[in-house]
Amino acid sequence: MAATIDARFVRELERICGSSGIVREPLELLTYECDALPHLRAVPPVVVLPDSAAQVQQVVRLCSRESVPFVARGHGTGLSGGAVPVPGGVVIGLSRLNRVIDVDIPNRRVTVEPGVTNLEITRQVAPFGFYYAPDPSSQQVCSIGGNVAENSGGAHCLKYGFTVHHVIAVDAVMPDGELVHLESALTDAPGPDLVSLLVGSEGTLAIVTKVVVRILRKPESVRTLLAAFDTIRGAASAVSEIIAAGIIPAAVEMMDALSIRAAEAAVHPGFPAAEAVLIVELDGNGAEVAELFPIVEEICRRTGATSIEIAADEQQRARIWKGRKAAFAAMGRVSPNYYVQDGVVPRTKLPEVLERIRALEARCGLRIANVFHAGDGNLHPLICYDEKVPGEADRAVEASGEILLYCLEAGGSITGEHGVGADKSEFMPKMFTDEDLDLMLRVRAAIDPGHLCNPGKVFPTPRLCGEVPGPYRQHPAEKAGLAERY
Amino acid sequence: MTLSTDALLQSSFLAGAIARSGKDADRIDGVAPRLVVEPRTPEEVASILAAASREGLTVVFRGGGTKRGWGRIPAGVDLLISMRGLARVIAHEHADLTATFEAGATLDEVNAALGRHRQWLPLDASGDGSTIGGAIATNDSGPLRHRFGTPRDLLIGIRLATTDGRLVKAGGNVVKNVAGYDLGKMMTGSFGTLAAIVSCTFKLLPMPAASHTVSAALPDKESVTRALVALNDSQLEPLAVELQAQAGRAPYRLLARFATSPAAAVAQAAQAQGLIGGGEIITGDQEAAIWRRYQGRAAASAGTVVRMNWLPAALPGVLALFETLAQAHGSVELVARAALGAGLIRIDGSIDWQASVIERLRAADVVRHVTIVDAPPDVKRQVDVWGALGAGGVISSAIKRALDPAGLLNAGRGPV
Repeated sequence: MAATIDARFVRELERICGSSGIVREPLELLTYECDALPHLRAVPPVVVLPDSAAQVQQVVRLCSRESVPFVARGHGTGLSGGAVPVPGGVVIGLSRLNRVIDVDIPNRRVTVEPGVTNLEITRQVAPFGFYYAPDPSSQQVCSIGGNVAENSGGAHCLKYGFTVHHVIAVDAVMPDGELVHLESALTDAPGPDLVSLLVGSEGTLAIVTKVVVRILRKPESVRTLLAAFDTIRGAASAVSEIIAAGIIPAAVEMMDALSIRAAEAAVHPGFPAAEAVLIVELDGNGAEVAELFPIVEEICRRTGATSIEIAADEQQRARIWKGRKAAFAAMGRVSPNYYVQDGVVPRTKLPEVLERIRALEARCGLRIANVFHAGDGNLHPLICYDEKVPGEADRAVEASGEILLYCLEAGGSITGEHGVGADKSEFMPKMFTDEDLDLMLRVRAAIDPGHLCNPGKVFPTPRLCGEVPGPYRQHPAEKAGLAERY
Repeated sequence: MTLSTDALLQSSFLAGAIARSGKDADRIDGVAPRLVVEPRTPEEVASILAAASREGLTVVFRGGGTKRGWGRIPAGVDLLISMRGLARVIAHEHADLTATFEAGATLDEVNAALGRHRQWLPLDASGDGSTIGGAIATNDSGPLRHRFGTPRDLLIGIRLATTDGRLVKAGGNVVKNVAGYDLGKMMTGSFGTLAAIVSCTFKLLPMPAASHTVSAALPDKESVTRALVALNDSQLEPLAVELQAQAGRAPYRLLARFATSPAAAVAQAAQAQGLIGGGEIITGDQEAAIWRRYQGRAAASAGTVVRMNWLPAALPGVLALFETLAQAHGSVELVARAALGAGLIRIDGSIDWQASVIERLRAADVVRHVTIVDAPPDVKRQVDVWGALGAGGVISSAIKRALDPAGLLNAGRGPV
């Protein structure tokens, strides 16, 4: 069983990280009680803020020696409670490991520390005509270390893939305190692809202290359209026909009537009042985009688009995307509180699952807005509720769980990009058999035999005593206007 | 004490799987397996593995047998499990651009099935009969890697049979999914040391409407570098960029393939021709034949084939190193994903010389992860197949102990 954190242990941490690298003040510790998931929180007994890989290593070594659990934390924008502190454990905040170590344009790679934000990588290479492809909506604030932990995607992962497809190598502190350099299959390193295993392991296998990512040439041409439809089914059939025509758009996003209304109220993107809008973006070589874009336009017309707006310039394109990316935060305009779900269905099952969500909406008496990555079947239902009305918050959580079951029944997944974290571990046995989970746990035990590295996440366990379920509350970063919820 | 071959053949665990004693054609580096079994269902694979664990039998998995040279010389092989009995296309959800196959299906079989809906799994077969499971296990790739990556980049779900006789899955059927550990991707490069891959689910791509290849002969490494820099700095989006050469025998052959919508393929090939400063544009059956021949050459060798990796911008240094390898009594051929920094080197000549070339490559700073893909056993006796595994080796060994505690799977051959 884990040891408790006593004064001697704290002194050891302080010796490693310095007095400015340790947080003990109760008010300051509150900042670390949760990530951007509203309803799971636990105040950590101590937080350390190491400023080098060597300090991370020493902290983990100490934890390993004393059997104290630890949780790595990036910028706290995760939506599944992956960074929620473990009772009796240390939070290792990586925000001070925020150096850009190497920008290597000829070799198309950038080496950064985990606390560097996702967008900062693109900022570093944009002057050379490059960008970093995975683009979670929180990219202005989320850390690359967190992206590695969650295998973050984004609106453009339909064509360009997720974090795992872009990480070439990592330095990681393993649960026993070893600092290792690992290279992915992208480098032809012999042996099992351990980088692929670490990416998306939600902080349960290692703490990355350095990440080498590949960067891509900025596409020569980008064209974006916004099409309005009378029915979700019409919009969905447009997506199907685009795919059937052999076209892989850079992004295909869909919003329903309620989320359109919310976005309009919040950021006025000029979306038409429709049952559904579709944002389709093609990018790539100029000749290719010029040839394929009219086909997409034609398909939208043929499948019943009531209006089509084609972005004439970068400004217009940015306005369309602003409407989409603000959709989560905009729910605040139409509902006092909301709960964001993240599930996946095979793309062709979207209309069927959305109909079930409509029926659920009627049954549970809560409005549910739908914003989703239609190209890859990743749904983000937003369940509206009012925490002041007794019972509504609980109903929202229940409804959100039921939607996951619809996803599984349609052959999908309980999470496409937000992770399992502490939030959805109870749904893992509905997606995987005991044998499946046992194999994952055996891999975990091989790497973290002491079960110290972010325990209680991903895999089902009895609820932790420090977790207090409850309705949505604003994250401190949101309150300060630093982050929006996407 | 292990069972006799006759006793093995009578064993109930074979449960109807086709079994026979090992023949010459089954030999691995000259070592004949005692028994060859061909299970027909995932359940049979699992029960055979459970029995192998019970009896302490060493196991080697074989797909199409195209990569049998890949690995150290085994001390002995009790069971060779042929996966060719599991070759079904389980599902092709063409509207979702996904498909599930049994691991013993060959890439050709798979792509013939997918082609009916003008879709494909864009992975290169490194030999006739290369299977999907084999491609994952060996992290194999070819020219298409330039655009589509290696098998793990398209893999979205996997089903494994483990040494304790269980069938387990990881991942799923949807292209976007982060639930649980991605054990499928971890299996990439595991070389049959952790579990049997029984089936796998991939995301698919639409087949390009048109394809054109620019083929250019370039006189020296300086002109190769110039052409590649021009291509890489352009906004062209090739499907493949390949470089092939025999050391000491100019010219270099540069192939750049553009496969996309018809007008864009024509436009890009023409633009590439300008950037490279020459070459001919080939399309249709002639183009298909060139790529088939090219792939065949890369795979076949009487000597040694090594795989290696380098930083893309280090190509001039790699070519300089390659040119120093030329000698009168042997031949050295480079086949490279030129824009990525990955490729194969074929070495033909005396055993000692083959071994010395591998050692020279390993000693060079400019290339890394030099592993033997195929080599005569005498070469393998002189140089290790895998080279240094680094920190990953320790972690992989811990995973190996967890999944294969008795160390039976690909015992002594694999990287872990």
